[in-house]
Amino acid sequence: MLTKLNRIFFNTLHTIFHDQGLIIFCLVVPLLYPILYAFIYTGETVREVPTVVVDECCTPTSREFLRHVDATADVRIVSHAQNLKNAEDYIRRREAYGVLVIPRDFDKTIVRGGQAHVSIYVDMSGMLYYKALLSATTNVSLDMNARIKASRKAILYEDVSLYNPQNGFAGFLIPAVLVLVLQQTLILGIGMARGTEVELRRFTGIDSLLRVSDAQLVTLGTALAFLLIYVPLSIWVLGVIPKMFALNSIGNFWELWAFMLPFLLSSIFFALSISSVCRQRESIVLLGVFTSVPFVFLSGVSWPGSNMPAFWHNLAQFIPSTPAVNGYVKLNSMGAHLPQVWDEWRLLWLQTLGWFLVAYFSVIRQLWPTSFHIQQETEAKEGE
Amino acid sequence: MKAIIYREFRLLAREPLMWFCMLVAPLFCAAFFTTMMQEGLPENLPLGVVDMDNSSTSRSLQRNLSAFQMVEIVQDYPNVSEAREAMQRGDIYGFYLIPQGLQRKANRQEQPTVSFYMNYSFLVAGSLLYKDQRMMSELASGSAVRTALFARGATNAQAMAYIQPIVVDTHPTNNPWLNYNVYLSNTIIPGMLMLFIFMVTVYSLGMEIKRGTADELLRMAGDRIERVLLGKMATQLLIWMTIGTVIVVWLYGYLHFPCHCGMPVMWLVMLLFVLASQAMGIFMFSCLPTTRMGLSFASLWGVMSFSICGMSYPVMAMHPCLQGLSWLFPLRHYFLLYVNCALDGYPLLNAWPHVCALLLFVVAATLLSPRLKYALSHYAYQA
Repeated sequence: MLTKLNRIFFNTLHTIFHDQGLIIFCLVVPLLYPILYAFIYTGETVREVPTVVVDECCTPTSREFLRHVDATADVRIVSHAQNLKNAEDYIRRREAYGVLVIPRDFDKTIVRGGQAHVSIYVDMSGMLYYKALLSATTNVSLDMNARIKASRKAILYEDVSLYNPQNGFAGFLIPAVLVLVLQQTLILGIGMARGTEVELRRFTGIDSLLRVSDAQLVTLGTALAFLLIYVPLSIWVLGVIPKMFALNSIGNFWELWAFMLPFLLSSIFFALSISSVCRQRESIVLLGVFTSVPFVFLSGVSWPGSNMPAFWHNLAQFIPSTPAVNGYVKLNSMGAHLPQVWDEWRLLWLQTLGWFLVAYFSVIRQLWPTSFHIQQETEAKEGE
Repeated sequence: MKAIIYREFRLLAREPLMWFCMLVAPLFCAAFFTTMMQEGLPENLPLGVVDMDNSSTSRSLQRNLSAFQMVEIVQDYPNVSEAREAMQRGDIYGFYLIPQGLQRKANRQEQPTVSFYMNYSFLVAGSLLYKDQRMMSELASGSAVRTALFARGATNAQAMAYIQPIVVDTHPTNNPWLNYNVYLSNTIIPGMLMLFIFMVTVYSLGMEIKRGTADELLRMAGDRIERVLLGKMATQLLIWMTIGTVIVVWLYGYLHFPCHCGMPVMWLVMLLFVLASQAMGIFMFSCLPTTRMGLSFASLWGVMSFSICGMSYPVMAMHPCLQGLSWLFPLRHYFLLYVNCALDGYPLLNAWPHVCALLLFVVAATLLSPRLKYALSHYAYQA
């Protein structure tokens, strides 16, 4: 039995390293894709959003306000326009993404002791422009307010951003992408390997017929082979990449590994289960690649999980990446410990068990004597 | 020509995989993203509070906080450590810390500090809360002063002018609700369609080689590659545009996302985009004429499009070489055309460089067609 397991294991490894398609998806992509992603988002946030100003007031106070806005890291004043209509031309030509309007009575109102209104108009093609302009002008107005009323605030207020101090894009998206890269390449790799087997009518490269009773060996042997490859890969993807790009990585190494083991296992069995529908080598690419984007959303890093419709939220619990992304973010970006990710950890083990059973039955189905390809093979042997 | 179109229809209809990739999956994605974000702007995000003061001032502060539409205070924690652990467990997205002696210090004009700790590992939730929080900070400091001013007989307007002499009015143009569904679905859904177009185009060409039917196909077309492409791609275009029309109608007709240019213009943009994506698919296969390499190229390029198109993270904040590279992604041009036409309501020709770019993809694909012809007639399938 052990020798059989051994042979399945080594045959799977042999298949992986002798198939160009598998090398691309299981080695090249996990090695290089994370670097590419981290490179795209390495700027973290948008600075110096080009903005046009309509200063109808033209007083020292209004100019002071504008000087302060221009001095912030978030906004750059590219031009002054006569009126809103002219300012819109800049937006239309994509030379500016926001308009800042200071009304004619700005200075007068303040001196009179009234409330002066400054307006910002933001192009909504990107939320980050909106946030940059809003925070720059709000900060300047708060600062000037404090000086105008020359009185002390009763209660001060501070806000502290935790676990992503630069409020950056990379800090929030990259961890999810890293976990997803591992899961998706497993789906593609395993699917491609299995699709090829079905297409060429052989199983795990073993010529002698396997029996149904060997199904658990086939499932385990394949899983172990992929696990062997993915342990070093996940050290690279989840451990080295965040350090290389100076992302938060304050998790404890061993806790991280205790958490990632069920993730790799459940992903492998998940991939094996999905792969059972692949009739051809290429099928999995068409079936699997697109799922990356919905999976990112299902994990709840982008759209908050607490506000997802219940149906999608429940569906997400069946996919390894959901608990894995959340757990990885908590452990590695937020410095949580295993007891705090207990829910995710348990869910991953449950998924491992569940998807193992599905994978196991799919292998049984494939090995069943009446199954199409084995029948053919038997006929061919009898023919000889 | 007719025969090629008929043959292509039969080939596509015979394969369940194609039914999935051309009909089921793109429509599923359209439904998935729009229903996932149907709230538009997340409401009632769970927050916590650590009230160390337990005074009437701190309680009134808490009441004000939970009155905001976007947040909901779900739990009162006895100390910061417990609140932090709750945040690490993911129960709450952030918490307020009201320090001990708030009321006493406020009355004595000693300026106590209320802190807000926000978990920015979930950037969207954090960013969306930003505006409310700013307002809150004003209220927190203002409420005590306002009470004093009212006592001296000031009107509400006078009190507010004293507390906040300069107010910033925000006008998020064309998406005043800050609707996330509008912001993301408008680009992600056509993006998913593009991903499938890339892959199906490569796959359908690759399968001709794999099945060994490429020679027969060339013979049917009188050995002219442009006929082969026209026949195959026109058939697929018909299906893609059916889906494209459904998407346009779904987004702008049914969900009523902002569409200042009217649906016909968006339909035209969609047509250009589908053509460019098909051309990109042909281009990919012509460059790497094996199914395996072509599909790898298609999937990597397709998935990368979502990041590099700049819908969530602006291209202008990326490295300059990526800014140049972004021109090679059809989704980038679609995104800019959508912003120009549907969101901002400018005429299509205002963004003419991107219209040209989409058309250039088609030109690029035709330039490579001799290579494709060579591949179709000479290559044999290898696993």
